Amino acid sequence: MADKGELLEIVDASPEAVMDYFDDRGWGDGLPLVPPTVERVEAMLAACGGADPDEVLSVLPPRFGECTRRMVAINAVLAGCRPDVMPVLVTAARALGHPELNLRGVNATTHPVAPLLIVHGDIATSAGYNSGLGAFGPGNRANATTGRAVRFLLLHVAGARPGPGDASTQGQPAKYSYCVAENTAASPWESYPRSVGVDAPSAITLHCGENPHNFHDMEADHPGPILEKAASVMATLGVNNAPIGQGEYFVGLGPEHAATIASHNWTRRDVQSYLYERARLPAGLYRKQFGSLAWFPWMHEVPDDHLMPATGHPDHFKIFVVGGAGKHSCVVPSWGMTKSVTLAVAP
Amino acid sequence: MSLRVYAPDGAMGKPPVHRATSPAVLTNLRIGVLDNAKPNARALMVRTAEQIAARTGARLVLVTDKGPGGNAATPCTPGVFDQLGEEVDLVLTGSAD
Repeated sequence: MADKGELLEIVDASPEAVMDYFDDRGWGDGLPLVPPTVERVEAMLAACGGADPDEVLSVLPPRFGECTRRMVAINAVLAGCRPDVMPVLVTAARALGHPELNLRGVNATTHPVAPLLIVHGDIATSAGYNSGLGAFGPGNRANATTGRAVRFLLLHVAGARPGPGDASTQGQPAKYSYCVAENTAASPWESYPRSVGVDAPSAITLHCGENPHNFHDMEADHPGPILEKAASVMATLGVNNAPIGQGEYFVGLGPEHAATIASHNWTRRDVQSYLYERARLPAGLYRKQFGSLAWFPWMHEVPDDHLMPATGHPDHFKIFVVGGAGKHSCVVPSWGMTKSVTLAVAP
Repeated sequence: MSLRVYAPDGAMGKPPVHRATSPAVLTNLRIGVLDNAKPNARALMVRTAEQIAARTGARLVLVTDKGPGGNAATPCTPGVFDQLGEEVDLVLTGSAD
C-alpha cells in the first residue's frame, strides 16, 4: 500500500506564489498550475466510483514512483482536468506500467519521444474530448489537460525531468500535452480498439511516438495516391525507426482521406498491407547509412537491392481516424523499441 | 491566506533489480564487455576495459553483444546474461550516444 500523499503548507495562496512554490521544488511544466487541495483531489477521486485511492496502479521508472489513483488525481488537478476524465487517466497510468511500452527506455532515450494518448468510445463523447477539427490542438480542455496530466505523471511520479530523468536531446512540444480522441463517428471501419481485440464501451491507447508528421493529398479519388504519401513519410532515413525496422507507425487518417479509401472497399487490413508493401527503401541504403541496425534477423539476410519495409510486419501500421474537414492526415512514428498498449477504460 | 496542497510525486516503490556492489579491488578479476550496439560502443568499452586491466591486473575475458535483435533499449538474452554471470566478475554494460 502506498502512502496517503504528503500535504504541504503554502503560506501565500496567490497564483504567482503557488507557481513559484512548485517551480522551486522542480515540479510542474513551466505553465500555470491549479493547486491540488484536499477538496479538489477528493472531487477527482470521487469520479473513480469508490475504488481504492491508494492502490498502486503502476511503478514508473526511472524514479520508480508508485502511481496510485491519488497521485493521478493530484496531477490531474494540477493540470486543470475536470473529474470526468479520471477514468481515462487511471487507465493511462496502468498502461504506462506495461512492460512492452518500455517506459524506462522511453524516458532514458535521447530521442524526443512522448506518449500519445488516444481516447476511444463513449467516454470520448461524455468527457468532451475533441476527435474532430483541430483534435491535436489547441483549444479543447479535455484533450489539453488530460495530455498534460499524463506528462505530469511522468515528470513527478516517474521522475522524468529533463536531464536526470529524461535524456531527450531537444525535447519536443508534444512533451507538454499529447492527447486526441478517435473520430469513430467518421470512421468507415470498426473502432481502433476492436481492431486490436479490445471490445469495450470506452478504451485508451498509449503510443510512445514522435510528433505528428503531416501528409496531404488534395486531389486523389483513389486510395493509392493518398497512401503513397503516407508511405513516403514513413520510409525516410531520419525517423528513429529507420535503423530499427521493428517500430510502429500510427496513421491518423483525416475523415475525408478515410472516406476516399473506404469508398473503394478497402479495409483497414488493406491499408496496412499497402503501407507494408510501399513504405520501403533499399536495404543497401539503410546499411550504408547506419553502422548498427536492430533489424529482425531475416532483414540482415536480404541483398542490398531488396526493398526493405519500414517495419517488419503489416500489423505495425496502426490505422485510426482523427480530425475534421480537409485533406490532411498524419503519421506518428514510434520511438522504436516500444509497443503501443490499448486497454479498456476502468476507473 | 495559506493553502494546503498535496505533493505530486508520491512514494517511491522498489526497483525491480538492484545494482550489484562494485568490487573494491579489481586485481585478478575477470572483465566482460556487453556491447549495447550504440555506434562505437564496442571499441570504446574494449579500450576502456584494456586500460582498466593494465592498471589493476584484471583481465578482459569476454566481449559479447546482447543476442539477436538486441540494442541499447532492450535487455540481453537470458543466455547472454547467464554467460556473463558465469564467466566474468564485472561488466561494462554500454555507452550512450
